[in-house]
Amino acid sequence: MTRYILGRFAQALGVLWAAYTVTFAVLYLLPSDPVALQLGAAGIETDKLSPAELHTAKARHGLDRPVLEQYFSDLWGFLHGDLGESIAKQKPVTALLGERLGPTLTLTVTAGVLALLGGTALAYLASYVRWRPARMFLTRLPSFGASFPQFFIGLLLIQFLSFNLGVLPATGTYGWKALVMPAITIAILAASQLAQVLMRSFDDTLGQPYVATARAKGLSRAAVQWHHGFRNALLPAVTILGVLIGLTVTSAIVAETVFSRNGIGKLAQEAVLAQDVPVVLAIVTLAAAIFVFVNLVVDLLYPLLDPRIVHGQRKAVA
Amino acid sequence: MTRRVSRRGIAATALAVTAALGLTACGSSDGEGGTAAAGGEPVAGGTLKIAFWSDNPSFTCVDPFQTYWIEHRTVIRNVADSLTDQDPETGEIKPWLAERWEISPDGREYTFHLRDGVTFSDGTPLDAAAVKANFDGAQAVVKETGGSAYGASYILGLDHTEVVDPSTVKVVFSAPNSSFLQASSTTNLAIISPDSYQKTSKERCLGQYLGSGPFTLESYKPNELTTLQKRPGYAWGSALSENTGEAHLDTVEFSYVAEDSVRTGNLVSGAIDIAWPRNPFTVEDRELITRSDGVLESRPLPGVSAAFYPNTTAGRPLADVNVRRALYKAFDLPTFAKTIFGPDYPVVAGAFDSTTPFFAPQSDRLRHDPPGAAKLLDDAGWKLGEDGYRFKDGRKLTLVLPITAQSVFGTELIQDQFKQVGIELRLEVITGAELPAVLRNGSYDLTSSYFTRADPGALQFLLDPDYANSKALATNASAPETTAEIKGLFAQARETTDDAQREEAYAELQSLLIEQGVVFPWFERVQFAGLSKSVHGFAFTSESFLKLNDVWKQ
Repeated sequence: MTRYILGRFAQALGVLWAAYTVTFAVLYLLPSDPVALQLGAAGIETDKLSPAELHTAKARHGLDRPVLEQYFSDLWGFLHGDLGESIAKQKPVTALLGERLGPTLTLTVTAGVLALLGGTALAYLASYVRWRPARMFLTRLPSFGASFPQFFIGLLLIQFLSFNLGVLPATGTYGWKALVMPAITIAILAASQLAQVLMRSFDDTLGQPYVATARAKGLSRAAVQWHHGFRNALLPAVTILGVLIGLTVTSAIVAETVFSRNGIGKLAQEAVLAQDVPVVLAIVTLAAAIFVFVNLVVDLLYPLLDPRIVHGQRKAVA
Repeated sequence: MTRRVSRRGIAATALAVTAALGLTACGSSDGEGGTAAAGGEPVAGGTLKIAFWSDNPSFTCVDPFQTYWIEHRTVIRNVADSLTDQDPETGEIKPWLAERWEISPDGREYTFHLRDGVTFSDGTPLDAAAVKANFDGAQAVVKETGGSAYGASYILGLDHTEVVDPSTVKVVFSAPNSSFLQASSTTNLAIISPDSYQKTSKERCLGQYLGSGPFTLESYKPNELTTLQKRPGYAWGSALSENTGEAHLDTVEFSYVAEDSVRTGNLVSGAIDIAWPRNPFTVEDRELITRSDGVLESRPLPGVSAAFYPNTTAGRPLADVNVRRALYKAFDLPTFAKTIFGPDYPVVAGAFDSTTPFFAPQSDRLRHDPPGAAKLLDDAGWKLGEDGYRFKDGRKLTLVLPITAQSVFGTELIQDQFKQVGIELRLEVITGAELPAVLRNGSYDLTSSYFTRADPGALQFLLDPDYANSKALATNASAPETTAEIKGLFAQARETTDDAQREEAYAELQSLLIEQGVVFPWFERVQFAGLSKSVHGFAFTSESFLKLNDVWKQ
């Protein structure tokens, strides 16, 4: 088991390195460079500057060095916790992440919990209810939620809760009131996707022979569903948990823009627009790290949920 | 006016109301809506909440000299004062921190006599040495950034600054630059404390500087919240403000809301006092604001209007001046303004917006005249083909217009108008990152640009290849002879300090630009503001930024 975890850890490092390197390469290959873009945003094209002047402008951000030198020195800094300085925001990237991480974590965790509760409850209910029309309605609901654009959901919520009823602020980064609507916006999509998977796996599980056996023993429908169905149906849902975490991160970009929340999602969007290399690199690597970590946790959870799955048994198989 | 509009039921059609209100607002800049309607004595105190659109994604900066972001120039206007002020009505330069000034006959030396008793918010005096520190600091920034700092164009030709005595400072140029006097009234050359120049240019961008204005910059949280606090003891407002003393408001908060509909909704639902959009309000948003008893203010942003610049290099269709002239006749500007921005929207009338000093409208030559366009094109050898487009030597008359997501304003409508006379306008959607290459390679026929500054000299940074922000755009925009003529007129205006001569040069220039088909005006850039009914004393500066001295809330 230790060996397994160590192996997975090495794998994770490889993934992070690859994410960093690919991002660096992509940013470098784009048709423009950050300094030209920054000047362009001010209406100034680089042909206004003499080569010497352009060099000065680039040297300010360390962009005058050869690419490989930039890559290795940035990577070296990265490994030592120095993420460099943002080109557009005049600040060290670590300081920026420090400011922006809090609001996004609060948002994604809240949205994740809401999605988990909402999606599970919906799926559970859908498989429990026996009245056909209600069941139909409940099973169709997730596809509806999953296909609604998040942007639109956000604007609808703002229209009703902020402008019509005036109970929640339409914009803002801090306080629980500013958290409710963006969290719901993200949770609706995530919950729908979770519910879709869960419903199917409930159907499969409840069709298994051991469920029939349990029913035959005289257990109530509720008891069978809770004790025998739920845990087994959970497995596929846990698998997509990692995907869902990724989803909440990308959803944060939309939600933070609509609700003017100052988080990582909005920072990512701004950094990409400005081709702010150090910031994009840091965010991509951070997101990759979270993704890798969540998937590792999910893998480690499998044996706990289903004893038939055992890690680190490759030798026995061979 | 405002009161009448506020009766929800009376307005027969909300459209008509908006039209009437908008007309007044567009035509005047004296903040009639606010003060006149209230008619009371200003009330002291309170927090004013203003919502801008997003903060600048490419360059986080509130330093006067470095930033070009017009929203932040509004913030700066209220934090830091300038040597002079500019009258929004007449464009005249008026005293502010400088009580008076002299310009040497050769136009190279500007001597400012400073007002006594002015201090920065930390109590240090605003004297000749402080002003020198600012110009020295500005030159240092220009050097540090390889000449790319935004303020560089405002101090073009600056050689050095001399302290004559504690209240007299002399700014010396290596070449005459007549638009410097106007520059001295802008936020870009607002005076900040000498200590501020001990900080790095990046620290100043993040708000680490002090000014002498009616408010102090309490905090700048990029893209989140900018807070201003009233400066106690302020007593040197420019004579152009009604209130030259302490501000009425205690606190001003600027928030950043990316979504237009959310910003307007915030205003209508009372969460903010002023909605300050970058792009003109939609007709629907304007209706929404007036229907909820709000007030609309608007004023065209002075400077170069939103316009297209042609690529006249040989082999391109627009190399032929008659094809360029046909474009004016094909482009129906009044219909465009009405359709895209609303019935009361001003119609652009030249290379400059109407609020620019020395503006000389060219409406006559911009008149829509499809038969005239057809004749010009026929004469130029472009004959109508079967599909309704024109051809010459088997080549279709196609004009390429690269557009970015930010510059789409009604381009499909222009496409349709051009089609009426047989010109195909091909819209090529590109990202901002691709534009420099497109300009450099000359793979376009029309490209758009603008420049906000209340001085016609602003146009030389687009069209004079020696100073232009994009050399390619400037070089391609006209044939070499015309370019030489344009450069000559700019030089003439730059080198004289006599307003009559400047006026003459700029009038000739504006006429030449249309005559030779160098600038294709697109629309007037209008700054809108939506005010809640509790805001009074609203006023635009000469650059259509917001001045808060006179604003109060009740």
